[in-house]
Amino acid sequence: MTRKIFNSIMIVAAVSLLSGIVIIMGFLYSYFERVRENELKDELGLCAAAVEDGGIRYLEKVQSDRYRITWIEADGTVLYDTVTGKENSKNHLEREEVQSALEKGEGRSKRYSDTLLEKTIYYAKRMEDGTVLRISIGSATVGLLVFGMLQPILIVFVIALIMSGILAGRLSRRIVKPLNNLDLENPLNNDIYEEVSPLLNRINTQNSKIKAQLKELQRREAEFSKITSCMNEGLVLMDKNGIVLSMNSAAEKIFLTDQGSVGRDFLTVYRDHEMSLCMKHAAESGHSEMQKSIFGREYEFVVTLIKSAGEVLGSVLLIFDVTEKVLAERNRREFTANVSHELKTPLQGIIGSAELIEGGMVKQEDIPRFLGHIRKEASRLVVLVNDIIRLSQLDEKKELTKERVDLLEIAEEAAESLGVLAEENSVEMQISGDTAVISGVRSLLYDVIYNLCENAIKYNIDGGKTELKITCDQEKAVLLVSDTGIGIPHEHIGRVFERFYRVDKSHSKETGGTGLGLSIVKHAVLYHHGTIDVQSEIGKGTIIRIEFPV
Amino acid sequence: MRSKFDEQLALLNKEMIEMGALCEEIISRVLKALTEEDGQLLHGISSLGPEIDQKERTIETLCLKLLLQQQPVAKDLRQISAALKMITDMERIGDQAEDIAEIVPFVKNRPQTVDTLLHEMAEASIKMVTESVDAFVGRDIGLAKKVIKDDDIVDNYFTLIKQALISGIVDNPKDGECSIDLLMIAKYFERIGDHATNIAEWVVFSVTGIHKEG
Repeated sequence: MTRKIFNSIMIVAAVSLLSGIVIIMGFLYSYFERVRENELKDELGLCAAAVEDGGIRYLEKVQSDRYRITWIEADGTVLYDTVTGKENSKNHLEREEVQSALEKGEGRSKRYSDTLLEKTIYYAKRMEDGTVLRISIGSATVGLLVFGMLQPILIVFVIALIMSGILAGRLSRRIVKPLNNLDLENPLNNDIYEEVSPLLNRINTQNSKIKAQLKELQRREAEFSKITSCMNEGLVLMDKNGIVLSMNSAAEKIFLTDQGSVGRDFLTVYRDHEMSLCMKHAAESGHSEMQKSIFGREYEFVVTLIKSAGEVLGSVLLIFDVTEKVLAERNRREFTANVSHELKTPLQGIIGSAELIEGGMVKQEDIPRFLGHIRKEASRLVVLVNDIIRLSQLDEKKELTKERVDLLEIAEEAAESLGVLAEENSVEMQISGDTAVISGVRSLLYDVIYNLCENAIKYNIDGGKTELKITCDQEKAVLLVSDTGIGIPHEHIGRVFERFYRVDKSHSKETGGTGLGLSIVKHAVLYHHGTIDVQSEIGKGTIIRIEFPV
Repeated sequence: MRSKFDEQLALLNKEMIEMGALCEEIISRVLKALTEEDGQLLHGISSLGPEIDQKERTIETLCLKLLLQQQPVAKDLRQISAALKMITDMERIGDQAEDIAEIVPFVKNRPQTVDTLLHEMAEASIKMVTESVDAFVGRDIGLAKKVIKDDDIVDNYFTLIKQALISGIVDNPKDGECSIDLLMIAKYFERIGDHATNIAEWVVFSVTGIHKEG
């Protein structure tokens, strides 16, 4: 813009200067010509006076390069010419200026002379004796005069041009400066040309619009990243070529990567054949799922294609941690299998005995023994079903009515009912401790103590000892069951609380249990927000410590 | 023109990674078959083999197309030529895995010592393959050089297994056939390790332009 303004100013200056000079030159030329003519007239007057006085001798003495003086008779013959001399001159009677001089006394003319090829100004005067004296000068001399003027004029022209150039530069800069210094952030604060204000107004409205949009965009972005970073599920956004656009922190943890994976091909982040098959499948059908374990945890991958107006924009990969679900499912499957197995075993015994009796294969005196067997198996079934019902009640997490119960009282109660069993196994049983009153469900706590003591008696040696100690302080009530029994092998300790888990894999009927006892204990203790700790040494015995918050 | 070329190079890279993933998949399945003796797994392996071969064809075609149509120079040329060499090694890894899978059903009662060694060897060679593909993905020369070094570990396992088998045959000549099968498996794993080394060497070449020092 500066350049354009500068150029315009310069062109205007140059044109006006040039035209001024041309006009001045024109005037000067005609002015000089007039001056020259007047001079010529005066000089002719002087010359005529001299010739009248001195005759031809004066003319012969005249030495001039510029002037040409011709003396002509009234009939036109040349008496003398300062350039050509007397001879070789044509008759000059027809010449315009001579004619005019003869008639009016003086005359003048301008023409291209025949003899000298240049424009010449003539001036003629009739003298008193009737002859005519003529003076002439080449107009080139006027041109020369003007030409002589040209140089200083040109110098003036150049100087003026340079000056106007400097001025034009300054001016154009001054005009443009406020435009350059426009504060576009606050367009309305500018005090500038009236003509620019519509533009500034427009910029102002657009500025505020852009600001608002940017703010909205940033807010959404922050919202998005906040939401995704708080998600437990992994989330990966990819474009249609599989380049990662965004990855939340959960996904980063799963794939053991960082934000550096954004912008890279997803395959370079997690390379897996099944995964790429899953992606391909999603690209074809729009949706695909798969399950895979990574570093010991089960994940479910869901790939969904993002489409807009029939065009594929990219895809979303959602990763769910389904380890717990898978484990729970496996547990449930195992539990169902175990339950059916455990239920079936006594039934088989009952059916077997019943068939034998029915077929008359049993002697009369043996019938009571078989019936006893059937009763035993049936009662075992009842115990088992009761245990399962209890467990499922605990699983339901139903709110049971809590009351204030004394652990010592329950322990004594349990010991009483276990007395026969202890005697059968010849195990000595001791209960000691203080009264420990906690808020709990009586039947559950009874189960806890009963099951623990029953195990301590059952898995004991002949003449062994079982000790139940209850202590209580401000914060917790501690139940300590120790025995001198066979102990639990180290690798099994973690699993004894699982349903139907038996250290002795033969599920021996000898000890009778259902395999659910400790599982019920665990659930009941957890129900009362207590903790269980097991310490055991093979051959020496087991100590189970349970703490209940008071 | 260049953007098209870049696009094709990216595609080549992607296909290479997929082929690497296929190789990892097939040998991890072989290892599983070796430990779990699951008939279904063996079936899966035989379907992966042709897939690897198909991938090799695809990459080969892509490489030749790139070479002919784009006439690459310098780094691009190195990358494409290295890819051409690498897919041969990857394809061999797939073949060797298939070969192992064929033998696995015949080596049911293996001696415990050999079994442990074989397991460790298999894991070492799988690690080599994984790391060589990782090195390719990340253009990681350090990792590639580690893979080249790790080949000694796998070679060492082969020697150990060989010795264990020899002493096994001396003690119990009846198990000779099984021992030879086990030796074959060990040899295949050793070859897989070698191929992984080759891949790592080509990774180094494609980055630095130097193939095998000395």
